[in-house]
Amino acid sequence: MLRFVLLGLAFGAVSATAAMSKGFNQLFDAVVRIDVREIAFEDGAKRFSASIGSGVILSADGLILTNAHVASPRAVELSVTLASLERVSAKLVGWDHWTDLAVLQLDQAEVKRRGLKFTHAEFGDSNRLYVGQTVYAVGTPFGLTRTATRGIISNNNRYFEDSNGVNGYETGAFNTWLQTDAAINPGNSGGPLVTEDGKVIGISSRGYLGANNLGFAIPASTAIRVVQALVRDGVITRSYIGIVPSALQDLEGFYALALNTGVLISSVERGSPAAKVGLRAGDILLAINGTKVDGRFPEQLPPIQNLIASTPVGSTITLTIKRGPLTSDYTVVTEKLESRVGEEWVLEKWGLSVRKVSRTFARVNQLDDSTGVFVIGVQPGFPADVAGLSRGDIITKINQQPVGSLEMIKGIHAAYEAKPAPVLVEAQRNHQVSLYVLKP
Amino acid sequence: MNYRRLLLPFLLACAAARAADLPTLWAERLKSVVAVEFYTETETERRPTISYGTVIDRNGTIILPSIAVNPRLTPDQLKEFRVYLPGSSTGVPAVYLGQDALTGWHFVRAAESIRSQLVPITVFAAKSDAEPAMAEDVWGIGLRNKDEDFMPYLLGSRIALVQSLPQRTAIALQEVAGPGLPVFNRAGEFIGLASSSFGQSFVQFSRMDRSGTPVILVNVEESSAFQVAAEVLPYLGRIPTNVFGRPLAWLGADGLQPVDPDVAKFLHVENQSAVVVSEVLEGSPAEKAGMKARDIIVAIDGKPLPRLKPDRVVVGYVDREVERRTPGTPIVITVLRGEQKQELTVVLGDEPRLMSEAARKYFDRIGLTAREFVYGDAVGLRVKAKGATGVIAHFVKPNGPASVAGLHTDDWIKEIDGVEVTSFEAAAQKLGEIEADLQRAEFVMLVSRGGETAVLRVKLK
Repeated sequence: MLRFVLLGLAFGAVSATAAMSKGFNQLFDAVVRIDVREIAFEDGAKRFSASIGSGVILSADGLILTNAHVASPRAVELSVTLASLERVSAKLVGWDHWTDLAVLQLDQAEVKRRGLKFTHAEFGDSNRLYVGQTVYAVGTPFGLTRTATRGIISNNNRYFEDSNGVNGYETGAFNTWLQTDAAINPGNSGGPLVTEDGKVIGISSRGYLGANNLGFAIPASTAIRVVQALVRDGVITRSYIGIVPSALQDLEGFYALALNTGVLISSVERGSPAAKVGLRAGDILLAINGTKVDGRFPEQLPPIQNLIASTPVGSTITLTIKRGPLTSDYTVVTEKLESRVGEEWVLEKWGLSVRKVSRTFARVNQLDDSTGVFVIGVQPGFPADVAGLSRGDIITKINQQPVGSLEMIKGIHAAYEAKPAPVLVEAQRNHQVSLYVLKP
Repeated sequence: MNYRRLLLPFLLACAAARAADLPTLWAERLKSVVAVEFYTETETERRPTISYGTVIDRNGTIILPSIAVNPRLTPDQLKEFRVYLPGSSTGVPAVYLGQDALTGWHFVRAAESIRSQLVPITVFAAKSDAEPAMAEDVWGIGLRNKDEDFMPYLLGSRIALVQSLPQRTAIALQEVAGPGLPVFNRAGEFIGLASSSFGQSFVQFSRMDRSGTPVILVNVEESSAFQVAAEVLPYLGRIPTNVFGRPLAWLGADGLQPVDPDVAKFLHVENQSAVVVSEVLEGSPAEKAGMKARDIIVAIDGKPLPRLKPDRVVVGYVDREVERRTPGTPIVITVLRGEQKQELTVVLGDEPRLMSEAARKYFDRIGLTAREFVYGDAVGLRVKAKGATGVIAHFVKPNGPASVAGLHTDDWIKEIDGVEVTSFEAAAQKLGEIEADLQRAEFVMLVSRGGETAVLRVKLK
């Protein structure tokens, strides 16, 4: 098996035509290196790490597009190196791990004060790409600032979904990817994939480690929507109903369906809106709000997912479902889509790193509800470790009180910090409940 | 198998063993010891198993340690039991009587023809019920393999420690007997039965390959620990009346987790132990008596749970308190709920149908054994037992059609060919029809695994 890892795309640009292209030169000057200092809450302590990625400037006011796995809310310091080799700090505008995209903005005051100059790039139409078309990846592979590599579009509609593909967060359910053979190395992440005239048609994101030139980029068509929403709202809100669609492939005959009709619901998440109205695994979804869906192949699934996700949260969707010989309509009310990964924090005096249990995490792990925090690490020799807590435990109560939020547990930790006294912790692991005492 | 016999017959070197009467004691006590051979038949395999047994009565009844039989097997997969005397190359037939839940022992009864040559271990019971003392010399019998006609040999050691696990268990300096075989003191009195899973382990490094991975060798044929006679003799009468060992008492408090001394102190239950109930099972006697998940059991019939070491052992203690009782018996369980102590009177029930009792059928052309869905499946899958349908893939033949389609062992089959599986019989009939239809190229199953569902297409051609 090949390991699919986050890399970043590089772009090659030594073609004489391209070099002469004004558009390409302008693009080249809009590509930046991004140095990130990130905080992590693992192992019961705050730890910082540094990494390098790439990005592309999109506007005169210094908006930069990069990958979500380069710049996430965990970033505590973002430093951008412009084409002029000047460094300037930036802040995160918003991120979206589902599409692996993030938007930063250069510190305007600093840019003005120092009189820094930069150009910005333009998007191209990624829907009109053809396989074999020459493209370039530009970025910072292994820290080599402003490196361009050249390749072709190898596939313009690659399906790839990963439940923990962006630093543990889900990705890929709502978009397909561009595949290219332009050389891609770690550090290319977030850099643009461009046509010969310098138009951004994708954001380099990942590659197969150990393979030769199998790189992947988020298409511009997706990126344009995401940038707009992130700049406007800072977040992207999606709707969720709890069905897991899968491709029908050759099952049409079995379900007595015409070819290119419907999508198989392979799973319905417990307690989800779809489960509440009685949808079941094995049902066939024929239409969403009257719009017929065709999920014969996996590549066709992301747009179907998007159809549901792009409705406003709390809206009513009518699903036309075929079950056995019967076809009927089901009406579901959407919920807000949540990641499995909740907010993280470290309770330093206890040497305990925790992550809030999200609704999705609770569903996946068959928990009764989203009460509690998940232990992501403990520091050896600290009270949590000494008491016997370890990664994977879910703390549901502290001093007999349900842990409804991170704030609650932070409050008890603050009280402990001020006046250390034993704390009773109730935690479960594989649904087995145990008690622990954290002692000063 | 990585297990390897390590020790050669070991002769006791101490003065006691050289006592003139040891050969006499040995010859008499050898009659309480047998080797038992049986075959386990699964869908695609048939393999022999050898275990050691101790004779417990004049009717040829023999007990085998619980480890002798893989718990996934059902009694009807155990075939052709034979009993061999030490040093003998021919065995006599025997019947399998079942397993006792409390002791874990499997009971076997040897054919009449051999019974006159057997002596029950009770004949050698000690006059006093004193436990073996620290440093006391003890000895026992080991048996070689079938290729050496189960030749008996002497093992011996001294007591290093006696501990409650929760049964009183003596741990010796080294191996004292084959697992399941008796241990004696220097006077020849029966003082315990050797436990399984207490063989010494050794790490062996390669001499040839300096960077080679060390091999861990476990001596599974000899044991250095034994349960004392007081944990054996009173229970010899628990001969199962059926192969499933019923009646089986059922409480229905699941996922018992011990508390450590710090927690006990915090809860003001010091100098004793307690267990947290993770879950109260649906429809169980515990539920009927009002027990709740997260109740902390502190006493049974008014007796506080003892502080056992390690903490984990108290769970076995609670389990045994239930197993030693019979269905219909009331048991008073004191629980701590929040700050309050409450007494719950639970009338123990009958254990729901076990996996080993579940109906099952193998379909060779599909490469699948379908098994009836039982209560324990609902508990494991975390679904409501009441109204749960479907069957379990108990065995999936490697590289068979079902396996190629992606079916795994223990998958929950909910639909076959688009029809909901409402009972085991319905599933068996449906699968039988599919298998019998040689024109059939494929069929579809809806299966659930870890809460996720998938449609699998099984190609038969």
